Amino acid sequence: MLGCCTRSVLRLRQTQLRLAGLRCGYASQPPPPIHRVPLSEPLSTAAHPTVLESHPFISPTGSDGRAEPGRVSTLSNGIRVASQPHYGQFCTVGVCIDSGSRYEVAYPSGISHFLEKLAFASTQKFQSNDEIQSRLEKFGGICDCQSTRDTFLYAASIDRRGLETMVEILGDVVLRPNITEEELQFTRMAVQYEVEDAQMRPDQEPLMLEAIHSAAFSNNTLGLPKMCPPENTAGISRSILMKYLSTYHVPSRMVVAGVGVEHDQLVRYVEDHFVNSPPVYELSKAHADQSLAQYTGGLVSIEKDLSNVSLGPTPMPDLVHLTIGLESVSHQHPNFIAFCVLNMMMGGGGSFSAGGPGKGMYTRLYTQVLNRYHWMYSATAFNHAYGDSGLFCITASAPPQNLGDMTQVITHEMAKLTGHIGNEEFNRAKTQLKSMLLMNLESRPVIFEDVARQVLAQGERRDPREYIELIDQIQPADINQIANKMLASQPSVAVIGNLQNMPSLKDIELSLIDKMPSPSKRSFFR
Amino acid sequence: MASWGIRGLAQSWGQLQQAQKLIVPSSRGILGARPRPQSTHAQTDAVSGNVPPTQISVMDNGMRVATEDSGSPTATVGLWIDTGSRYETAANNGVAHFLEHMVFKGTAKRTQNALELEIENMGAHLNAYTSREQTVFYAKCLSGDVGHAVEILSDILQNSKFDEQAIERERGVILREMQEVEMNLQEVVFDYLHSVAFQGTPLGRTILGPTKNIKSINRDDLRSYIDTHYKGPRMVVAGAGGVAHQDLCQLTQQHFGQIGTQYQAEIPLDLHCRYTGSEVLARDDAMPLAHVALAVEGVGWTNPDNIPLMVANTMLGNWDRSMIAGPSNASNLAKNVSAGSCNSYQAFNTCYKVGMDASGPDQSTPLAWVHSGPRAILKSSHCRHHSRTCFLFEQDTGLWGVYFVAGNMQLDDMVHFITEEWMRLCTTVSDFEVDRAKNLLKTNMMLQLDGTTPVCEDIGRQMLCYGRRMSAQELEKRIDAVDAALVRDVCYRYIYDQCPVVAAVGPIENLPDYNVIRSKLFWNRL
Repeated sequence: MLGCCTRSVLRLRQTQLRLAGLRCGYASQPPPPIHRVPLSEPLSTAAHPTVLESHPFISPTGSDGRAEPGRVSTLSNGIRVASQPHYGQFCTVGVCIDSGSRYEVAYPSGISHFLEKLAFASTQKFQSNDEIQSRLEKFGGICDCQSTRDTFLYAASIDRRGLETMVEILGDVVLRPNITEEELQFTRMAVQYEVEDAQMRPDQEPLMLEAIHSAAFSNNTLGLPKMCPPENTAGISRSILMKYLSTYHVPSRMVVAGVGVEHDQLVRYVEDHFVNSPPVYELSKAHADQSLAQYTGGLVSIEKDLSNVSLGPTPMPDLVHLTIGLESVSHQHPNFIAFCVLNMMMGGGGSFSAGGPGKGMYTRLYTQVLNRYHWMYSATAFNHAYGDSGLFCITASAPPQNLGDMTQVITHEMAKLTGHIGNEEFNRAKTQLKSMLLMNLESRPVIFEDVARQVLAQGERRDPREYIELIDQIQPADINQIANKMLASQPSVAVIGNLQNMPSLKDIELSLIDKMPSPSKRSFFR
Repeated sequence: MASWGIRGLAQSWGQLQQAQKLIVPSSRGILGARPRPQSTHAQTDAVSGNVPPTQISVMDNGMRVATEDSGSPTATVGLWIDTGSRYETAANNGVAHFLEHMVFKGTAKRTQNALELEIENMGAHLNAYTSREQTVFYAKCLSGDVGHAVEILSDILQNSKFDEQAIERERGVILREMQEVEMNLQEVVFDYLHSVAFQGTPLGRTILGPTKNIKSINRDDLRSYIDTHYKGPRMVVAGAGGVAHQDLCQLTQQHFGQIGTQYQAEIPLDLHCRYTGSEVLARDDAMPLAHVALAVEGVGWTNPDNIPLMVANTMLGNWDRSMIAGPSNASNLAKNVSAGSCNSYQAFNTCYKVGMDASGPDQSTPLAWVHSGPRAILKSSHCRHHSRTCFLFEQDTGLWGVYFVAGNMQLDDMVHFITEEWMRLCTTVSDFEVDRAKNLLKTNMMLQLDGTTPVCEDIGRQMLCYGRRMSAQELEKRIDAVDAALVRDVCYRYIYDQCPVVAAVGPIENLPDYNVIRSKLFWNRL
């Protein structure tokens, strides 16, 4: 504590010095250096003149509430360039590719997982990730790579003045990676850690997501694993990765999108770094996998002891996790919006807290399920939509002895969707969907992803207002109609945990067909 | 379309930004520069880049209204109140948090149910949080609903019923929340860290309070807490997104105009919370990994040394095993530990506000008077009120350190690498590294401000912490003013030969003894 005293004395001295300054008046004294001005006091403009000129703020939306339209261009090698005007000092720019684990059928699973981790490592032009990072840092940039089952996104947020540097880096990272043996070794470690960590964490969500997709699409296309199976980590080599890249990471499957950038500038930079500079791999003559996702339904059950998953001294309850899914539609299908409304109407979350008013505490999975059955730990609806198919599911957890009841409650909620839908809950779901859409689009990276994915899927980006109009048009009858169609599909079921009380797939099927079972009849699970 | 399948990237970026948040102080300190009641006036900061300017007005009752109007279709508005668990006593510790729960339980006008439905039906979100020094209530809504949202906020803050039965019910909910917090080991370790670093002071207590208090807090406690702390000059109304400044001022006048400035009872003083170098160990060999925080005393929000400390903090950075960067990471510490010394680590810098020390030397009274202007006048009036002589000497505090998760056999290495890096910061850190960290820090701070809620939070927090809004340009200039010599000087003053504070939970047999760690914070050579 001696140190503390010394410091107090030091500070006292400083204060005295300051006091002396004040007594003499600042007029006769030079102003204090910036690093001595308390953060509660503005820097004096005379002593520290502003570097940047000020401009009046220009609102991003016109008087009609419509955002300025974006632009799309297609370049000579088939790559598409999309831009969206936006305010602020920073822009987000990135590459969106029609690639992901769904295309790994002819490869060992885990390619996408590896590529995701290898992103922004050394390239033809840049010696290391460090060099890329230090280039980005100069313009205040950060970068990231994410893949979903059917899309790869390499993106960065950066000061507008760094746009060219960013496109140059993206071009090299996407088309000209080195993939050295050392980098592969580090990637194996990182992938292994992620896989181990997912197995160890009390939260089973990533594993459930893998399981329900594999059940719904029979281990093919969208059902292929996204997480690298542990036995594949050793075998994935540079040549396999390069072969995959040459088939799927080709310009015609790519969109370069920018938010808050000049369109013509972006096009020029993309010409330089994506068109005029060739990829490091030779574009393959081999055809990309064209197979459509085939929804089959089915059961994936994983017996696992979850009675002691807590990482700390406070025990976690022993839970079994269940997802029941049915076939929905692709994001290009006319019924897609109705599924989004349905998803909002079902809502759900954890039984402990809905996260405050506005987080869907009056959605059906709360009012009909979590608030009624005290043993339910969580219940949430998801709608996974892809380019050619979709999966609507409810995922829930409860203690193992309630697995039978939980299955019954969830299937009952699904079967009930063909019945009456109240006006209030329906309008609430529509309003919440609209506000969620607009609130998500507050964030620049989200706008980027929206632009890039829409242009990749449908060649243009529709204004959010168009989606709002489409949402307004949905009627309760539309929900009943998609529910009827959905219930005609074979159910997909994924379950992880203690499976002693697991009903058979046949029973689940039956209870979904039996649209409005009276509670007394629902006894076959016992 | 994919606009609401967007989650993927948006979330991962959210996480990235959250990790960065640790670099920025996680708890919110306040410089309670509480202006005395003034007539309403607006000031507009000219800001460069196409970013909306901050507009600030002061209401008759001292409440400040601060907005940044970007014209977007959504908005966030809320109240930032200069109060939290730091203002509690051992007897009522937990009341601030209890109150946060109770304001959602119905008012004279609205039942709990009606309140929740009203929010849900307009597609808005209502949120609240309590930290050691701030209590925040905010709503996120469509910009057309701002008036409605402010009315609801004013109703729940001023007219809550605090129904006895609801209070009884809420005890159970809070106790369950406590269990959830205890499952989060990072929170547990930080509570432990505060309990010893600030032992015997209000900052050492938890936000939730002890079980005994949760079981006994009653309606009168809640009422008197509001009466004592919810005063105009301690409240800020902040707004961001589609929110017009004049409208928000009018709404504030209309709905919060009756909030007073007078204290009926004793005026709460911000007493300095003394830091004590010490340790707390909770050994549990059944846990798979040890969770450890190692820190020294940092500074409060307004201290200009905060900027070089943040740069130093950025240099330590954060790392976890799923990050592949490995030996090419920008952070020297990450480079050293990535060979296998821990599972993850994060550097943190927590700031608290300036408190008064009643034990300063005699001459400090006039010092404080001159030094801090209106605030000191307010303080001296406290003193007259209590008719006792107190020597006012302003002191701020904070915690600056590293939190890490590692196996038992890695702890010795990990402590070694951290302290070695700290010593390097005090003695030999180079301009090259400092420049990189400065760029990174600027990026982290700027990129956080994406979306109406983060911007609104930044406005509210700064208004309470700094008593003003610091423009992005000013922050940039302050960071630019840092060089290696300054980092060394500041780190030397706060780290070198200081008594650290250590909190550790889990299999920690191998954690070096406190005196060993202490002895790593100086060299017998230079």
